[in-house]
Amino acid sequence: MDIKLLIFIALAIGATFFAVVASLGLVIHKAIHAQTIRKRQHLYSFYSDLIAELLLQNVLPLSPDARTSAIFNQYEIIIQPIKNRLREMSQLKCKIEREILRSVLIDFAKDVRGEISDRLVYFFYSFGFVDEQIKLLSDRRWWIRAQAARDAGLLKARRAITAITACLEDVHPDVRLQSMVSLIRLVGVEAFKTIFRVSKELSLWTAVELSTVIKEYKETTIPYLIEGLQNDSQSVVLFCIEMLAEIGFISAVEPLRKIVENCQDVTIRMKAIEALGRLGDGRAETILLSNLDHAHSEVRLKSMEALERVGAYSAIPILIERMKQNGGNEKIFSARAIASTGKSGVEELNALAQNNKFLLRAVVEQVLEEYQFRVEQV
Amino acid sequence: MFALIFSILLQVYLFYVVFFFVAMNVVYTMLMILSYRKIMFYMRQNLFSDYGLMVKSELTPPVTLLAPAYNEEKTVVESVKSLLKLNYGKYEVLVINDGSKDGTLDVLIQEFDLYRSKQIYIPIISAKPVRGIYKSKKAVYKNLIIVDKVNGGKADALNVGINVSRYEYVCAMDADSLLEEDALQKVMKPFLEDSSVIASGGIIRIANGCEIVNGRVVKVGLSHRLLPLFQVIEYFRAFLSGRMGWQGVNGLLIISGAFGMFKKSAVIEVGGYRSDTVGEDMELVARMHRIKLEKKEPYKIVFVPDPVCWTEVPESLQVLSRQRNRWHRGLLDVIIIHRKMLLNKNYGVIGLAAMPYFFFIELLAPLIEFTGYITAALMLIFGTLHIYLVGLFFIVSLFYGVMFSVCSVLLEEISFRRYPNPKHLALLLAMGVIENFGYRQLTAWWRTKAFYDYARGKKEWGAMQRKGFNKKIDK
Repeated sequence: MDIKLLIFIALAIGATFFAVVASLGLVIHKAIHAQTIRKRQHLYSFYSDLIAELLLQNVLPLSPDARTSAIFNQYEIIIQPIKNRLREMSQLKCKIEREILRSVLIDFAKDVRGEISDRLVYFFYSFGFVDEQIKLLSDRRWWIRAQAARDAGLLKARRAITAITACLEDVHPDVRLQSMVSLIRLVGVEAFKTIFRVSKELSLWTAVELSTVIKEYKETTIPYLIEGLQNDSQSVVLFCIEMLAEIGFISAVEPLRKIVENCQDVTIRMKAIEALGRLGDGRAETILLSNLDHAHSEVRLKSMEALERVGAYSAIPILIERMKQNGGNEKIFSARAIASTGKSGVEELNALAQNNKFLLRAVVEQVLEEYQFRVEQV
Repeated sequence: MFALIFSILLQVYLFYVVFFFVAMNVVYTMLMILSYRKIMFYMRQNLFSDYGLMVKSELTPPVTLLAPAYNEEKTVVESVKSLLKLNYGKYEVLVINDGSKDGTLDVLIQEFDLYRSKQIYIPIISAKPVRGIYKSKKAVYKNLIIVDKVNGGKADALNVGINVSRYEYVCAMDADSLLEEDALQKVMKPFLEDSSVIASGGIIRIANGCEIVNGRVVKVGLSHRLLPLFQVIEYFRAFLSGRMGWQGVNGLLIISGAFGMFKKSAVIEVGGYRSDTVGEDMELVARMHRIKLEKKEPYKIVFVPDPVCWTEVPESLQVLSRQRNRWHRGLLDVIIIHRKMLLNKNYGVIGLAAMPYFFFIELLAPLIEFTGYITAALMLIFGTLHIYLVGLFFIVSLFYGVMFSVCSVLLEEISFRRYPNPKHLALLLAMGVIENFGYRQLTAWWRTKAFYDYARGKKEWGAMQRKGFNKKIDK
């Protein structure tokens, strides 16, 4: 038989075989997946009901001189039926059900407080979930480590604190992020001290997630954020500055002023200027005015923007000079800073509008329109 | 003698066709494997991504949505309203009326209570003149800006949009496409994770057959017509296996014009969109690669398979042929403009893999396929080829085509599962087979014809008639 023919036949058979197997596999996968989901949902609702019942079940009142472990003995009795059920199963089935039980417990842990929460934490330890998580924290697959770090926090597994702290230096950003969040859950606000000390690099994505956690703790995080300003990593310092501005506590003004005065890193300097503007404290005025002459145009723009937020009346003469001398964007930003001082600033701008220079007039008109719009909105 | 030489030439050419076919399938297989790995990685990463936090956090960078509109008075209001409802922190919607001849601007002025703003226009990237910038008197639409400009095409409109935009990240899209509520969050995530990312593209899915209410896809479905169904498979192949695979090696050469996020400073650095090509989206990405590689600056251009932009695809052969013809002319244009990168080791993966792929496989494939049919027919006539060999080759190519279609459906099924109904799955698999009988040959012909049109200097887009989503709103 012709060799070409043989090759073609082989190729055709190969492709046909693959297409048929893949198509069949796809349909079977879809069917199995649907069935698995149904089974899991069923098991999930079964365990949800069971756990809810166990959590609401009354425990016997303890005598005042009872040992602390007495309450644990009672918790242990409560979960015995589940343990017995799992013990009777095959290894595979037990593994699946334990996994579902764990997710049910984690979901409950998100919503409960007080004694019920303590009861849940005991369940986690008693079922061995905490030790499992600690072991998984050193798994070679990053997603397993990240999942374990997250779950350890949700399980309130204080035993895992050391392992989670070590994960703050993990190679994968998601593991680091989950570890940070968990550590905060376990230790509270003091975790920030370790986080800002250990962190070498914070991506904006990590910063976004961490910022929402920090917002929950508000001003209690300020000492740690100020301490974080000493970190060697630019991204960590930028994040701390951003959060200090976001929380808006007055004690942040001084350290930020020092950064603007002394920091040679333009990016950090700009961020600190922006933060000072957001804090809106009059003490920042002098330092902001001195930065209007900075060699870097972005720094000048940031200073103008900050002055707009501070609403510095004394800056008007210098800003008018900048409007007359500097380029397009600086004209606009200066005009906005002038307008933000209120009536007197608007009068100065109106006077400038009489100027013959087209660009200057156009800038004033634009800024006055923005100002008018803002006033109307208010 | 002549017949002998002709017959030898035909045989040599046919060998070339077979070699091309084998090479093409090897590349497709490699892309498929790369895609699978990247999709799995993405799915795992998504387990730890709480996109809702991006809406809450002040750290989330603001974004400008650029929506060029040309003669879209019937759909533009609904589209803008849907864009204003996206779930994202701070963003502005910038609609660029590209000199529409109908009442696009008037309906916008009326609906959103617009006034002509005194905002200064600074043309950082050169573009056609701006006639006016409009803003709404209503506080609820304070993040809406309408720019009215002289007609200059989509690329020119986008350049004007970049000039007017306030924020560092700009999202280029079609005014008549629909973004899913969380699409902006998902397409922005790569920029937050890695500061070297300069562009990120999302997936385009086909809205024909879906149930759409108030500018949102509420039920995913498939069209009852054949052409949109074929295109669903094509889009799967292009996005889930093609783009996903290329981004795995930082070799992504195209971000769809219907939905792509860019770092504004990077776009300005390369000079913005080129308005003298019909493949402006691909050309911009190719230029970004070229300039960054020449400057030896680290950068990444990524594709995210999850943020979805729904678009309406042609349902008539006439419109589809115009679209495919334009796409192919665009591809040809980009390869000619950036021919310097082709097989040039100084451009790394782009020069040695991505550009050759787009040249030898994407660009030449229809030409080779089409001429392959003719050669085979001629050889049959001359009696130098057995009918069973031709038949077998056709069967092999058919099954390989089916195999890749099945694989792309497989990728969709193991990852995003947007088509939950098993009937949809069966229908899509069937389409993977049926498209090889007629549709594939037809698209090959349209794309082959694009060479002729390009040589004639044809540069126009051709009208794209859409039924519009608003009809389905009344359902």
